[in-house]
Amino acid sequence: MSLKSNLHKLKEKYKGTKMAPAFNALHTFLYLPNETTHGGTHIKAADDLKRTMNTVIMALVPCLIFGMFNAGYQHHLALGDIEAANGFFGATFWTWDNLVVGLWKVLPLVIVSYGVGLAIEFLFAVIKGHEVEEGYLVTGMLVPLIVPVDLPLWMLAVAVAFGVVIGKEVFGGTGMNILNPALTIRAFLFFAYPTWMSGDKVWVHGAKERASEIAAGANVDAISGETILGSLAQGKGTMSHDWLDMFFGIIPGSVGETSTILILLGGLFLIFTKIGSWRIMLSSVIGALVMGLIFNGVVDAGWITESSKFYGLMNTEFWHHLLIGGFAFGAVFMATDPVTASQTNKGKWIYGFLIGFISILIRVFNPAYPEGVMLAILLMNVFAPTIDHYVVQGNVKKRMKRLKAKTA
Amino acid sequence: MEHLELFFKSIFIDNMVFATFLGMCSYLAVSKKVSTAVGLGAAVIFVLAVTVPVNWLLDQYILQPGALQWLGAEYADYDLSFLSFIMFIATIATMVQLVEIVVEKFSPSLYNSLGIFLPLIAVNCAILGGSLFMQSREIETIGLAFNYGISSGIGWFLAILAIAAIREKIRYSNVPAPLRGLGITFIITGLMAIGFMSFGGMLTGGDDEGKKQPEETAKVEKVNKKENKLAENTTTINE
Repeated sequence: MSLKSNLHKLKEKYKGTKMAPAFNALHTFLYLPNETTHGGTHIKAADDLKRTMNTVIMALVPCLIFGMFNAGYQHHLALGDIEAANGFFGATFWTWDNLVVGLWKVLPLVIVSYGVGLAIEFLFAVIKGHEVEEGYLVTGMLVPLIVPVDLPLWMLAVAVAFGVVIGKEVFGGTGMNILNPALTIRAFLFFAYPTWMSGDKVWVHGAKERASEIAAGANVDAISGETILGSLAQGKGTMSHDWLDMFFGIIPGSVGETSTILILLGGLFLIFTKIGSWRIMLSSVIGALVMGLIFNGVVDAGWITESSKFYGLMNTEFWHHLLIGGFAFGAVFMATDPVTASQTNKGKWIYGFLIGFISILIRVFNPAYPEGVMLAILLMNVFAPTIDHYVVQGNVKKRMKRLKAKTA
Repeated sequence: MEHLELFFKSIFIDNMVFATFLGMCSYLAVSKKVSTAVGLGAAVIFVLAVTVPVNWLLDQYILQPGALQWLGAEYADYDLSFLSFIMFIATIATMVQLVEIVVEKFSPSLYNSLGIFLPLIAVNCAILGGSLFMQSREIETIGLAFNYGISSGIGWFLAILAIAAIREKIRYSNVPAPLRGLGITFIITGLMAIGFMSFGGMLTGGDDEGKKQPEETAKVEKVNKKENKLAENTTTINE
C-alpha cells in the first residue's frame, strides 16, 4: 500500500461529494493521476500548468536560499558580530549562523504565504465544485521573496487573503485575473502598513526592535538597514556599496530580490525553458536603460544641481538602476506573468518597455515610493488589455488592406 | 515647464476617475466595448477642452469677487460667485448640445451606441468637476485652463479606455454570479486605482515628512470642500 494508492482510494471514496476537489488536488499535486482519457483522440502535453509552475519555482529557489543567507548576514553584520564579506564567496557569508537566522525568519513567511493562500484556493474550489487550480504555487513562492524579513506574519496573512480573493478568485480563478496577484498582495501591504514596508528600519532583521530599545534608553548600537534606493531617494549619502556587491546581492532589501546574478540565472532558465517571455525581459531592461540615460543626460547637461532633491537618483549611473532595488526581480518574475502581461508579441515589446521606463521614472520623481517597479508593473497590467486590443486591431486593418489589394 | 507639469499632473496624478472618482456613471455604463468607450472619451475630452477655458473667462470677468471692475469703478465690489454653478452648467449644456449635433451628423453609428449617455455628458460630474477644480485651484491663465481641461479629459479617456479593454478581456471569465456586471466593474476600478497610485505624491516633493502632512490634509479639505460644493450644486440642479 503506497501513499499513491491510498490517495487514489481516498479520491474514489469522496468522488461526487463536495470535498472531491480537495482530495483530487492533493493527489494530482503529488503524483500523476492513473486515469487516461476514454475518448478517441487525445493530446499528451508535457508542459501542463503544473510543469509550468514548477519550472518557475525551480528558478526561484536559488533566490530563496540566497535570501535566507543574506537575511542572517545582514543581521549579524549590523550587530557587528562579523566582518563584511568581500565578494560573493566571502568567508562570513555562507555560514551556518547566517542560515539559522534566515531559516528562522524566512521559512515562517513561506509557510504562512502558502498556508493561507492554498487554504483559500481549496475553499473556493470546494464552493465552486471544480478542480483546485495550481495558480497559487508560484504566487505563494513569490510573495515571501518580495517582502521585508521582519514583516509580522498576520499582516502577511491578511494581505494574502486579500490578494487571492479580490485579486484573483472574484475574476474566476487562475488565468482570469487582471493584476498580478503577488504584486496585488505587496501593494496591499505597502499601502495598508507603510511603516512595515518602507523606511530604514525594516530591511534588516531586528532593526525595529533595536530602535525601540534605544528609544527606551538602552545602551546599544542602533542598526541601520537602509536600502540603497531609500538612502538615495532621501538625498542623503552616496552609494555605500560597490556595484559587485549589488550584482551579487549582498545588500539590504526584500528577502529574495537583492541578488541580481541569481535572478539573471533564473531568467535565463525561464527563457531556455520558454516559460518566461524574453521579449518582455529584454524590452523592460531597454526601457530602464533609456530612462536612466535620459536622467544621466539631464545631470550632465547641468539642468539639475546638487541642491535638487532628485539629484541623488538622477546622478546614479544608468546601468546601476538594473542592479539596485527590485527591478531585476520584477522584470524577470513579475512582468512576465503570462496571465497579466500583453499576449501579442508586438504588445509585449511595448508593455515591457513602458514597465522599465515608468519604474525608473517613479524611482526618481516620487520620493514617497523609492521602489517604482511594483507600481509600474501594476499600472502596465491595467493597460495590457488596451495595448493588446490595439495591436490586434492594427493587424486586422493591415490584413484587410492586403486583401483589398489582392482582390482589386 | 508649468504647462508640462500641469499636463502630466492632471492626466496621471489627479486623474478624474482614479483620484477623485468623478464621472463614474458613464464610466461604468459605457465601458462594455472599446470602440464606444473611445467615442465617449473623445467627446469628454472635447467638452472639457471647450468648457474649462470658457468657464475660466466667465469666472475671471463676471463671477469672481471684483471681476466686474472692467465695467466701471462702481461695480468693483460686486460678487457674483453664487452664480458659478448655473453659469458653468449653462456653458456645459450648450457645449454638449453642440457635440451631440456634430456626432449625429458625422458618426450616426457612434451616436446610436452612445445613446442616452451623450446628452448625459451635460450632467457628467467629471465635466462640472473640471470647471469647479479650475475655479478652486485658481488656475492663472487661459492657456493653463485650456491645458487643464484637455489633460483631465485625456486622463478620463485613458481610464475608460483601459477599463473597456479589461472588460472585453474578462467577458468569458468565470466571475461568480452575484458579482457579474457592475460588481466586478467596481472591483476592477478599485484595483486599477491601486495601479494609478504609483503616481500619487509625485512632483509634490516630500523631502520633509513633517512638511508633507499639513499639505496633504489641506488637500483633503480642499477636495472635501469641492465635493460639498458639488453636492450642493447637484441639489440645486435637481431643484
